[in-house]
Amino acid sequence: MARYFGLDRIFTFLNTIKEAGGIRASLYKLYRMDNLRPGQLVGTDKYGNKYYQNPSYFYGRNRWIEYAPYYGMEYDGSQVPAEWYGWLHYKTDLTPDQDPSRPKYKWMLDHTENLSGTPGQYMPYSTTRPKIEPWIPGRK
Amino acid sequence: MSCSFSKIFSAARTGSKFVRPTYHPGHHHQRLLGSPPKDGYLYVNNKVPSMDFNDITDRAAQTMFFTELVRGFGVTLAHIFKEPATINYPFEKGPLSPRFRGEHALRRYPSGEERCIACKLCEAICPAQAITIEAEERADGSRRTTRYDIDMTKCIYCGFCQEACPVDAIVEGPNFEFSTETHEELLYNKEKLLNNGDKWESEIAANIHADHLYR
Repeated sequence: MARYFGLDRIFTFLNTIKEAGGIRASLYKLYRMDNLRPGQLVGTDKYGNKYYQNPSYFYGRNRWIEYAPYYGMEYDGSQVPAEWYGWLHYKTDLTPDQDPSRPKYKWMLDHTENLSGTPGQYMPYSTTRPKIEPWIPGRK
Repeated sequence: MSCSFSKIFSAARTGSKFVRPTYHPGHHHQRLLGSPPKDGYLYVNNKVPSMDFNDITDRAAQTMFFTELVRGFGVTLAHIFKEPATINYPFEKGPLSPRFRGEHALRRYPSGEERCIACKLCEAICPAQAITIEAEERADGSRRTTRYDIDMTKCIYCGFCQEACPVDAIVEGPNFEFSTETHEELLYNKEKLLNNGDKWESEIAANIHADHLYR
């Protein structure tokens, strides 16, 4: 009956606000993500990003990431770590802890975002010794 | 929600039927109701519309523009309430193939030893000549690269390097979010490529596993 009159949408809306943590938090989320939607929490990575899904949205919008709170408004697409990359891009339905094809070697590095334009950016340098050694006049 | 809005949408479409103008007979044929018939009878059928050029253009303009405006507003209103077909990037991302060819990476064996043996097949096959390799014998006698540079601004992302590689060392990883602010940052050297491999190994291995039946 409630469904016929569309009243369940009001309950879903109120639930979404409750899950976001109140009206203030919902408004902040709306400001930060341009979107406030209900969804199930699928997992959290070690950087604090949260992954949600809601299959009632169409393919392409049914999975999303909520970047960790400490990023603030400085979130970026390159902050998705390799472990969750496949799930978020619809390559696999398995979360990293369920996926047996994902190795864990001790030499694997932590994820870093795209650091272009920051002091941490990559600058190219030669990895070999130069083939021509310049003559320095003072030296014997 | 979509159900009720589709009702608005269809109402906006059918509503225009009421607004669409009907035939107006020419003014010289018009007779006020209530005044007595002139010739003893009242003509009640549809009048033949005036075929003056002015009247024809007026009718056409009314049909074409006036109702179109109202119907256009109806369509606009309906689209406000429709679910957008766009995705909300960086929070939502589009589907990607395991074969996607993105940023390059040099891989390692599970032991941590680098795979590349400096055979230079990738350098030879590269159609854009973006790869530069120099090799030297390492202290333990194995053949390894000392220089492995890829100019990412020359690269055309054809994937020939990863096809040519006999030890699966150079791969085009899944990452496409490596845009930079300067040109220099895209001149990758060996250490940057190995770092990429160490960062993305989880996803690279999963991609190779997803595709291994087709190779």
